[in-house]
Amino acid sequence: MSLETNVVTQRYSSAEQATNRKTYFTLILISLYCIVPFFWVLLAAFDPKASQFLRLPDEITFGHFWNLFANENGLRWIFNSVLIIGIATLLTLVFAGFGGYALSRTQAWWKRPLLYAIILVRIVPPPALIVPVYKVMLALNDMVNSAILNITDDIETQVMLSRMFSFVDGYLGLILIHTAMQLPLAIWIMKTFFDAIPKDYEEAAALDGASQMQTVRRVLIPLALPGFAAAGLFAFINAWGDFLMPLMFTSSPELQTLPLGMFRAFLRVDAIDYGFLTALAVIYTLPAVIAFSFARKFLTQTFSGGVKG
Amino acid sequence: MAMSFERKRQLGYRMMMAPALILMGAFIVFPAFYAFSLSLTNDALLGFAAKESSFVGLRNFSRLFSDPLFWNSLKVTLIFVIGSAVIGQFVLGFAAAVCLQREIKYKSIFNAIICLPNAVPEMVVGFLWISMYASGDYGTLNRIVAWFGVDPQQWLYTFPLFSIIIVNTWRGIAFSMILLTSGLASIPKDIYEAARVDGATDKQIFMRITLPMMMPTIFLYMFVSTVTTFAIFGLVYTLSRGGPANSTEILGIYIYNQSFTSFQLGYGAAVAVVSLVVSMLIGFLYVRALKVEV
Repeated sequence: MSLETNVVTQRYSSAEQATNRKTYFTLILISLYCIVPFFWVLLAAFDPKASQFLRLPDEITFGHFWNLFANENGLRWIFNSVLIIGIATLLTLVFAGFGGYALSRTQAWWKRPLLYAIILVRIVPPPALIVPVYKVMLALNDMVNSAILNITDDIETQVMLSRMFSFVDGYLGLILIHTAMQLPLAIWIMKTFFDAIPKDYEEAAALDGASQMQTVRRVLIPLALPGFAAAGLFAFINAWGDFLMPLMFTSSPELQTLPLGMFRAFLRVDAIDYGFLTALAVIYTLPAVIAFSFARKFLTQTFSGGVKG
Repeated sequence: MAMSFERKRQLGYRMMMAPALILMGAFIVFPAFYAFSLSLTNDALLGFAAKESSFVGLRNFSRLFSDPLFWNSLKVTLIFVIGSAVIGQFVLGFAAAVCLQREIKYKSIFNAIICLPNAVPEMVVGFLWISMYASGDYGTLNRIVAWFGVDPQQWLYTFPLFSIIIVNTWRGIAFSMILLTSGLASIPKDIYEAARVDGATDKQIFMRITLPMMMPTIFLYMFVSTVTTFAIFGLVYTLSRGGPANSTEILGIYIYNQSFTSFQLGYGAAVAVVSLVVSMLIGFLYVRALKVEV
């Protein structure tokens, strides 16, 4: 009897071990697939003799990173990316905060149609929009530039204003198009989070004599903070990594952001500075990886939010 | 005339919606409809038609449907979506999710490594894989396959479509793993125990319990990944720009090349209309099938 149970447990545990081995084997294979492509960029960024090929550096240098500060281009691309994506993320948060709140609280007839419309807007493939969006941006651009010509006769001021407020090849255009592209998902996230905050809280605050602004600042925003975090992180990650919009709407070198600047530098096949580009790639990737590590836990919520399976 | 409290509040909600609606309207909804009207013109970026485009009816569409490059692009898109989203990411993501359900060591390390590719910007993805696929004896992938006795290849020239499928699969394992993990976690544990007591094998448990209970999650994954893969542009553009010889020209790239390389905006818009209609159809199906609760 005791012998029999012993045999059973042994068989059970050796089967268990076999499954465990298979589990580790599968995970290690998938992990290798995922991590091997990173080796090159991580090594080359510190390799004085960086090339297109993976190799162990003979010595370690931080020179490529220092070079970024000496090399005007790299610094400008970083600055432009941070400025444009930073403001776009902020605008997304503000507009999605208001929009998500209104969508969550209103009982008006437009609530349901609008929610369905937002799902559909979310799945519009951006490449399908390039021609019409380009036309819209051109039209807005003409309006802005004729307004600028009316305001001032000073050429230098005109150039400066046009750089800031143009829709094609200007900061404003890039900021607004990125904001618009991130809004559908952000509104959806905010609406889901506001749905989870009972209306009673606001009413209680109002009964206690809190003004509307106080209710928003002291009750709503703190309770919706995880929502803002999720919406902001996803807006940042998506806009930061986007390649299509900069490709469409920037031409002057002063306006280039990281993705386009790096891509164009990479196309000059005869004169690629691999050390510079890999160091820049590390710096460009880092904020996205950090943001993603925070955003991870929200990832399922953004999709399953409105789904009753 | 004083407004009632309720009307004031309703007005407030509309005001709050306004900025978001204006932006999405101007840059997404209006352009989407505008694409339809542009597709009926001979609009171009250069030349006579650039100044004064005229209405050409459905001529762009009749040209489109007899254009072998369009059919090629549609085929390439289909293979790309099925190869990377439906098969590659799904199979590997599911395998990783199932493995990480078990009690094993280094769980969080495996998890972090598998998630890493998902966070990388499109341009850097292209950058990393151009080095992986570098031709000659020193290319990383060539060195790896050399261990198995395979000769060095020019991956992006010999197997272009397969190569970009490998890249997109690599990038998307994390998403499918995370989504499917949440689906696995929602299956009650006692069902498994009951099945084990009844003497079910691992395979039976997977086929009879895990898979059926996962169907809603799998369906959601298939929808989201199909739609997002359909919309990919930058990843393929940085790797191959649709080449060599249109072999990786997915719809997004085809639209871009027709519009801004061949300067035919009207024709590009017609392709865009096809791509919009396809994704909207998938969207409607999803809303109907999953009974999305809003």
